[in-house]
This record gives sequence, C-alpha cells and structure tokens, in this order.
Amino acid sequence: MKPLNLIALLLFLAGATWALTRSEPIVREIQVAYFKAIAPTLKSGSALETKARELLTETKHSKELDAELSTIRGEIGRLRIIESRFKALERENSELRHALNFKKATSFDVVAAQIIRRHPTTWWQTMEINAGENRGIGIQLSVLSNDGLVGIIDRPFKQRSSVLLITDEKCQVSVRVEGSPEGGILSGQRGEFERNPTLRLQYLSKNASLKPGQRVFTSGRGGIFQPNILVGTIISVERGPLDSEALVKPAVDLSDLGTVFVVLSENH
Amino acid sequence: MFRYNVSTVFLLLAAFLAQQFVPAFSGLSHARILLVHLVFLCSAVTVTTPTMLLMAFIGGIFWDAHCSLAPIIADPEIYSKPVESLRFGYSILLFGGMGFLMQGLNPLFRQGKWHFSAALTGIATFLYLAADYCLISFVRGDFVISRAIVRLMTYTSLLTMLFSPLIFWLLYRLAKLFDHSLYPEANRNRRR
Repeated sequence: MKPLNLIALLLFLAGATWALTRSEPIVREIQVAYFKAIAPTLKSGSALETKARELLTETKHSKELDAELSTIRGEIGRLRIIESRFKALERENSELRHALNFKKATSFDVVAAQIIRRHPTTWWQTMEINAGENRGIGIQLSVLSNDGLVGIIDRPFKQRSSVLLITDEKCQVSVRVEGSPEGGILSGQRGEFERNPTLRLQYLSKNASLKPGQRVFTSGRGGIFQPNILVGTIISVERGPLDSEALVKPAVDLSDLGTVFVVLSENH
Repeated sequence: MFRYNVSTVFLLLAAFLAQQFVPAFSGLSHARILLVHLVFLCSAVTVTTPTMLLMAFIGGIFWDAHCSLAPIIADPEIYSKPVESLRFGYSILLFGGMGFLMQGLNPLFRQGKWHFSAALTGIATFLYLAADYCLISFVRGDFVISRAIVRLMTYTSLLTMLFSPLIFWLLYRLAKLFDHSLYPEANRNRRR
C-alpha cells in the first residue's frame, strides 16, 4: 500500500472512531446543523411529495368522494352533539370540583400538524410533520389521529418534526386489553413494509383469555403515552410455554393519514 | 486531477440535496433510489483512495445525521427491554467498505469498461443494504428475514443501478471540464 493511502486510511479510521464515540447531545447538534443546511431543498422536496399525493387523491372517483363527504358530514353532526354534551359535562365537572376544592387533574393541549413526508429513511418507520419547536413540540410527545395512536415525536426541529410510528420495532407502548386484566408491551415488527403492518403484543399471561376483536388501549404506565388512547384491535393470540403474545391491527391506517395531533402537555 | 476530486466531493453534497426530492415508492415495498450512495459508488471508482475515503466519511456522517433515531427515555421498570439502535457513525465504515469494493474494478474502468462498474453499483448497493440490515439484526438480538425485506433491498438496488449511467456521464462531463481523463488507458490504446 502506498504511504499516502495508508495515512488516508488511518485518518479515515480515526474519523470513524470519533463519530462512533459522540454523545447524544453532539449527535443532535450535528443533525440540527445538517437539517439546517438542507432546509430549502427539504421544504421543496416535501412540498413536491405532498402535491404528488394530492394529485393521486384527486383522481379518486367522484362518487366515492361524494359518499365519503356525506359520511363525514353525518359524523360532524354527531360529534357536534357529543361535543355540546361534553362541554356541559365539563362545566358541571368544573363546578363540582370547585365546590369540593379539588385540584385540577388533567391539562390536555394538542397541536394539529400535516404530514409532509413519509418514510424518509430506508429501515425506520417514520414520517415528518410540518410542526416543530416553534409550536411547542418537544421530544417524545404522543402523536394521535382521529382514530387512535400514531406514534411519538422522535426528533423535533425548528419548523418540522420526525415522528416514530407505532409500526416501528423501536416504538414500544405499554398497553392494556379492554375487558380483561391483561396488559403488555406492544411494538412494531421488523421488516413489515407491506400496506397493512401488524403489531406484536408481548408479555401477556400464559393463559390470557383474549379474543380477536378486543380493543387495545394505552395503559399510561412508563411515562411516555397518556392512558386510554386506542392503539388497535387483537387479530390473533399465540400461546407460548411461559407467556402469550397477540397480533394487533393498528387502529390508524398509517398509509392514508393527512393530519395528526401532537399532545403538548398532560399533567397527571 | 485535484480539481476533479474536489468536484466529486461537491457532487456528493449536491446528491444529499437532490435526495430530498426522491420519495419512497410505496407500491415497491418502500424502495427508493439511493442517490447519495449512487454518486459515492460511481465517484469511488474514478478518484484516488484518499479522496474516496474523504467522501466515505462525509457520506457516512451526513447519512447517519439524516437517518439516526433518538434514544427513547422511559421508565425501565415498564420498558425493561428497550430496542437497541445502531451507533451514530456506523455508515462511515459501510461507505468505506463499499468504496474499496468499487475501487477493485478501477483497472477495468480505466480501460473504458464503465458498464462493469455500473453493474457493480447495483451489487454494492444490495450489499450495503444487506450489511446495514445484518447490523440492525445483530444489535437487536434476532435475525428476521421476510420477503418484504428482500424485495425492498432488491428493488432499491435495481432502481439505484438504473441511474448509474447518468452519474457516470455526469462524472465524465466534470472530468472533461477539469481536463482530467477518466479512461487514461483506453485513450493510450487509442493513440497507439
């Protein structure tokens, strides 16, 4: 090997070692600098992807859209009635708490955001939203849709954030099963790149009496997710010698998601 | 030669910007054209070893900045088995390895047989993705391989390889601009 190549190789290995030994705050600084540098193209690229998706959506059959619109209108009417009832109950609850001198139990605030980019990386199940630190978003906040849990904020930047989806193996959720004492840890499965990915619910008891169709909610334990958020429904149960596992279908269709809500604060 | 080498580094940086316009194809198991990897692999066969290693360092560190996930901080009593992630910077070594693989075909490339290198970009991309996936499996403790994973790696490699002639043409234009020859041995034989 030529001396110059040998020196270059040694410098390369030293550089790689330096990078591999960086602490998390420095990695974050590098990421912030990187995304700041590519910000203009990132914005244009996201806009292009959103436009392409909108064009594809517009090509849907108009009858299908009409039917969808009338369903949504009906749903809005129903939700308005529920909302008015909910407001009355909230007022009543507040009055009763005040009368009993109760401490306020929950403060819940959300930020709506649009999905601007899907699957920006090869292996991780992530997406990007158009809201970031400028709107109060921080790391590890829950992300929801109308149908249930979507994921958590992985990395917030100034004007955008990366969301780790519940279908990713790294995203673990402490859950409970409706109508049963069973609870466990739910996570995505590696290599599930198909349209309908399933989640794996682990650490159920050995003789867990669960049935397909039972709903799975967040338990609120573990300090990441708020309790009672719908995550999915059980598809099947596999019994093992020590514990049981279940396959869960996510409540949210992650391939057809437009708007999400980031939960900003929750004081237990 | 020096100006050409510098221009390839800038081309790699430009590839990072262009990569933002390349979406994943949801119908093809979320396969995508890995423009950054393609520019690196094509350039690696045309530049000197020190330049290739510099490009591998830049490519690897920026690619990890683009992709790496934040650690999840949760109650260890509830989440007792957190899922491990790869360390920031591991891609530098993968880029370096693929760069050396591409440089193995340098003698053929210098003779003007660029199509062998074009085919190798597809193989190198596949090997890169396979190594990437094996490392993930290694740190997470079990090896799961599904058809979807194989499809993702195959489609990504094929899509990436399809664009390699375009990148080689771009490199050829750059070399011409900076009075550098990509095929010195082919030119020498022609002169004889």
